[in-house]
Amino acid sequence: MAGTTTESQESGLKPQHQRWLAAIALVFAVAYTLFPVLWLLNNSFKTRLDMFSSPPIYINGNPTLFNYIQAFVERPFLQYMLNSAIVAICTTLLSLTAGTLAGYALARYDYGRAKKHISMWILSTRMMPPIVSIIPLYIMFSYFSLLDTKTALVVAYSGFNLPFVVWMMKSYFAEIPRDLEESAQVDGDTNLGALFRVILPLAAPGLAATSIFCLILSWNEFLLALIVTNTDRANTLPIGIAGRITQYKVEWGEISASGFAACVPIVLFAFVVQRHLVRGLSFGAVKG
Amino acid sequence: MASVTLRKLWKKYGNFVAVSDLSLEIAEKEFLVLLGPSGCGKTTTMRMVAGLDYASSGDIYIDDRRVNDVLPKYRDVAMVFQSYALYPHMTVYQNIEYPLRVRRVPDEERRTAVMRAAGMVAIEELIDRLPKQLSGGQRQRVALARALVRRPNLFLMDEPLSNLDAKLRVHMRAELKHLHHELGITTIYVTHDQIEALTLATRVAVMNKGILQQLATPREIYNDPANLFVAGFIGSPGMNFLKGELTDGRFQGPDADIPDLIKGRHPDVVLGIRPEDLAVVADGAGHLGGKVFSVELTGESALLTATVGGELVTVRVDKDFCADIDAPVRLAVNTTRCFLFDARSEQRLR
Repeated sequence: MAGTTTESQESGLKPQHQRWLAAIALVFAVAYTLFPVLWLLNNSFKTRLDMFSSPPIYINGNPTLFNYIQAFVERPFLQYMLNSAIVAICTTLLSLTAGTLAGYALARYDYGRAKKHISMWILSTRMMPPIVSIIPLYIMFSYFSLLDTKTALVVAYSGFNLPFVVWMMKSYFAEIPRDLEESAQVDGDTNLGALFRVILPLAAPGLAATSIFCLILSWNEFLLALIVTNTDRANTLPIGIAGRITQYKVEWGEISASGFAACVPIVLFAFVVQRHLVRGLSFGAVKG
Repeated sequence: MASVTLRKLWKKYGNFVAVSDLSLEIAEKEFLVLLGPSGCGKTTTMRMVAGLDYASSGDIYIDDRRVNDVLPKYRDVAMVFQSYALYPHMTVYQNIEYPLRVRRVPDEERRTAVMRAAGMVAIEELIDRLPKQLSGGQRQRVALARALVRRPNLFLMDEPLSNLDAKLRVHMRAELKHLHHELGITTIYVTHDQIEALTLATRVAVMNKGILQQLATPREIYNDPANLFVAGFIGSPGMNFLKGELTDGRFQGPDADIPDLIKGRHPDVVLGIRPEDLAVVADGAGHLGGKVFSVELTGESALLTATVGGELVTVRVDKDFCADIDAPVRLAVNTTRCFLFDARSEQRLR
């Protein structure tokens, strides 16, 4: 309250007016952010004619499911979505499992000088633009006959995600007192048992925050998927959507319907882990 | 209950020696206190016994079994940490149950053991709470209950009372002593608090800079210190030290002349005398002369600090004692309670 009074004195506005101003600013920010998404949603229920009518139709009085049927029944967007889900979930699981164990080892075990070098080396792989690795990856996948498979995407995305996961989890583990796992070991648990029963439940916010980053990265990735996959069995949603821009026409209806549908799983997941996400991102930022 | 033997134990971190050539035997049912200032190696010693740190060399035996390479879980020890190390995401019940759960003890047996351990430290009504909902003293009890729940052969306690306020510490100290008497579990207790050491221990091992200074009963440690470090570390207020010369049983230093001490000649000695073994006497009498520096009332007595030959000497006096600052004062020494140390080696002269 004291803070509010001081601020209102400084700005010369009553607290009531300040709240109104803040609300107006928020409305603009939300509108600016949400307008493209809502326009996408709006377009996905329009016919091709309505989409290009002038003046534009803001409120669609005649919604149609035509675009959704086209995308998900007539065309294999459901398959793309499934591919994306499989790739994103497998990538997240794989990078979280390996990254968590690596992060734990880096946070807890002492390798002398090598420890710092290993951490930096892991981080350095993140400094390179992903496009640099595309040709070597293509050659490697070709050599192992993995071109046009979901496995190739899972392997590559896990590689992209790992440095991030390792560093995030390393910092979470470093914040958890070592006494806890030592106590668990004296109580009769193994190192791994202490990690799973005591440390991981305490690192849950970190796991949630890290998992959503992994999921978003692999769900949205376009460039590598475009190079590595070329048939429906491995194409992901971003490739499928881009595929509707053809040489002769752009299928705006299908793009809108599948584009909106592509947002839904990530938004839902973000809602589920939102509580952890906020706590997880600020966790470890300050001590005490 | 187990006995513990440490033989020529060393712990080094690079060039830093944390524990140096430590040999100790701890008998069954004994309450051994490792006492010393911060960084003296007492916690490192305990961690090696627990299996949380490897010994650089030497042997650790629990009973007749060499345990140097045995994992903590197979040593049958329980440990109470300074931070209590309660698992924050588990309730009090789950915390206490943990050692039994990881050993796959059947449900019914587990429940009985948890409730018995909780009963021993009077926390039955807190059983469903999370650690963050407990006070410091209650957390301490939960940590104790978790250590007690499976009746280990050896109890390790790392400064378990240091996070409690003064009043609660005295209370928990008494409870620990009672608990040890009831259960008779061999205990190694680490502290830097000499009062805790003297009140709880069967024997005290005083350590400094990784080296064992003296291993004896609390009474012996107080009444018969082996060297200057032990003499100065034990006692509150601490022992007074005066530098001087010993000639044929007579100690002479600045403003000090004390006859009837041990035979021998030493040009460079330190005389130690505890505050309660000094008395204020009339002018012309006594062994030390000085000026009053301060008088502090502590309740049941008062502490007179006087300047004797440039050194401050503390004397425990009657609570009604009064004196002006800078007034001359004469002090008599109980010559049977004087300790003499070689100033160079710091070892006791007998």
